[in-house]
Amino acid sequence: MTVQAIQSRGGISARAAVLAYVVVCGLVLLIMMLLGLTMRLAQAQWLDVSPDFFYVIMTMHGAGMVGIAGLSGAAVMWYFVRRHVPVTTAVFIVNLTFFLIGAVLILGAGFIGGFGAGWTFLFPLPAHSGELWSVNAAAAYMFGLLFIGVGFLLLHLDIARGILSVYGGLGTALGAKVAFGLAPESEGPPPAVTASTMVLIVNILGILLGAVVLVVSLVNLYVPSFTFNALAAKNMIYFFGHVFINATIYMAVIAVYEILPVYTHRPWKTNRVFYMAWVLSTVMVLIVYPHHLLMDFAMPTWALVIGQLVSWLSGLPVLLVTAFGALTNVHRSGIRWNVAAGLVFIGTAGWAIGIIPAIADGTIEVNSFMHNTQWVPGHFHTYLLLGVIAMFLGFLTYLTPKSTSFWAPAGFWLYVVGGAIFTLAFLAAGSASVPRRYAVHLPNWLPYDRVGSVGAALAVAGALILVLRFLLSVKSAAREDAKA
Amino acid sequence: MVQEVVWTVSIVLMGVLAALFAWVAVGANTALADYGPMVASAYRARTWLFGLAIIVLIGVNYDTLGKLPYASSLSTASSGAAVIPVEAVAEQWAWTITPNAFTVGQTAEFHVSSKDVNHGFAIYDPDMRIVAQVQAMPGYVNVLRYTFTQPGTYRVLCLEYCGVAHHEMNADIKVAAH
Repeated sequence: MTVQAIQSRGGISARAAVLAYVVVCGLVLLIMMLLGLTMRLAQAQWLDVSPDFFYVIMTMHGAGMVGIAGLSGAAVMWYFVRRHVPVTTAVFIVNLTFFLIGAVLILGAGFIGGFGAGWTFLFPLPAHSGELWSVNAAAAYMFGLLFIGVGFLLLHLDIARGILSVYGGLGTALGAKVAFGLAPESEGPPPAVTASTMVLIVNILGILLGAVVLVVSLVNLYVPSFTFNALAAKNMIYFFGHVFINATIYMAVIAVYEILPVYTHRPWKTNRVFYMAWVLSTVMVLIVYPHHLLMDFAMPTWALVIGQLVSWLSGLPVLLVTAFGALTNVHRSGIRWNVAAGLVFIGTAGWAIGIIPAIADGTIEVNSFMHNTQWVPGHFHTYLLLGVIAMFLGFLTYLTPKSTSFWAPAGFWLYVVGGAIFTLAFLAAGSASVPRRYAVHLPNWLPYDRVGSVGAALAVAGALILVLRFLLSVKSAAREDAKA
Repeated sequence: MVQEVVWTVSIVLMGVLAALFAWVAVGANTALADYGPMVASAYRARTWLFGLAIIVLIGVNYDTLGKLPYASSLSTASSGAAVIPVEAVAEQWAWTITPNAFTVGQTAEFHVSSKDVNHGFAIYDPDMRIVAQVQAMPGYVNVLRYTFTQPGTYRVLCLEYCGVAHHEMNADIKVAAH
């Protein structure tokens, strides 16, 4: 079944809307990568950056990258799910507009207002600036996040409406009936629908809880006598943050399900195990967040034990279903490798490989030694830089008109090799107890920073080539019909 | 010690996965005549892998969940008279630790709290390796026990981002030989 998107009133086509997303994502991604490179160069003492500006950059990089991972995932999800359910282009555009308004507010809060409380705005730090940023700057940042959250909420609700109109219920669209043996495998929904359903379930809950803690923090900014329990706020922030960033992966992985089969000429086989994995992932994404609080000894021990156990369990669907599925789909398929297929394949590998250090850090005994060291950015950059963003760049290249130029493979290898060096430098530093989020590093830590800087520079160069290729050909990309 | 084990095991497993992806990618140019039997054997392999993963999961979790650092999990034997209570209070951007001098073999029970925002209380040994940590939170007192094993200057670093001088928020703990 193919369903066209409902056109926006202004007549913007669905394809043009997706291209607008990809342009914005590509540009913001490059800016945020450059901010990340700046931080590594500053830590390596190859660039002079004052600590207060370093922490502004750190906050902007964190918020920007989480936002852009979400937006690029949304572009992938919407592009493919609209083949199966009716969705509204106008709502898709509204989400992009809200994102841009939010981004302007956040960038203004940082680069004009000096806001540097970290992207997680951990309560009550936004109200304790040490005179470095004003209450209004902190509020602008939070309103920015609220705008972005509202945009995503509208997008998920519109996709939910479309899914319900075709499948009648979210359980059916998730594949729960097949998972529990209530329907034959042949009646299972397409992977894009299953993934979109999972994402909207978890993200709507995450965004709503995030909005609550944002509003509480906003009130606290202007009425300091209104306080909130710091541990409760931390729980809500990490629930929202964990769910949102994980949802970006589950949106982007649709590119793997849809793009790899185009080049391997093998359908992505769905079966009972596939749907069981998605049902379990839906539950586990919602209950695993206490693994961010393993060093908060005031938390109930049972919650932290669940955090550890679910961290381990949640790796299984990724490794044994999606990664295994990609390997099976590609194995001796006769594929003629190109950059788009290579990037989504690398994206699957990055996601799977990143699970290993993530599970290690989700183990309480290990977390005592690794928490808030550079091990943490090491593992999440593995499955964001080499996972989600690799999948997005694969999608971007998939939309770019074919070319035999040398530049695309060059961009691919720079990105992959640089990304691997960059993430390994973080992990090595973490195992040597180098803290994360430090503007100034001790002399003993510099070798890790310098190797990491070289890797980051290579990865930025690779992304620059891939994104520029797309931007230079976006007009012809807009003219091309959907490829699949 | 834990760091070295985790680093080595992680790198080996990550390397195995990377090698598997590389092997499949390199060999993918040659097409199989029939996809069906390959899928069937892959699914059989997956069942075995699932079984292996469950065994590893149960084993590691059984082992590690027996060594929780939380106060509710500390044994009575280790909470005897030798434990020295220590107040550790965080405030942007300094630590107040009382007392802050010990001898090797003594067990300190740190009562960690914060006067303003979230901080991270991480103890680094004289070789600048983390040996224990806990969060410092406004409104809560987190209890962390640690037995000093070597003489020298241990350092306390803040490991939760707390504002512009976060990287300067540290303190020393002196540990004498005996």
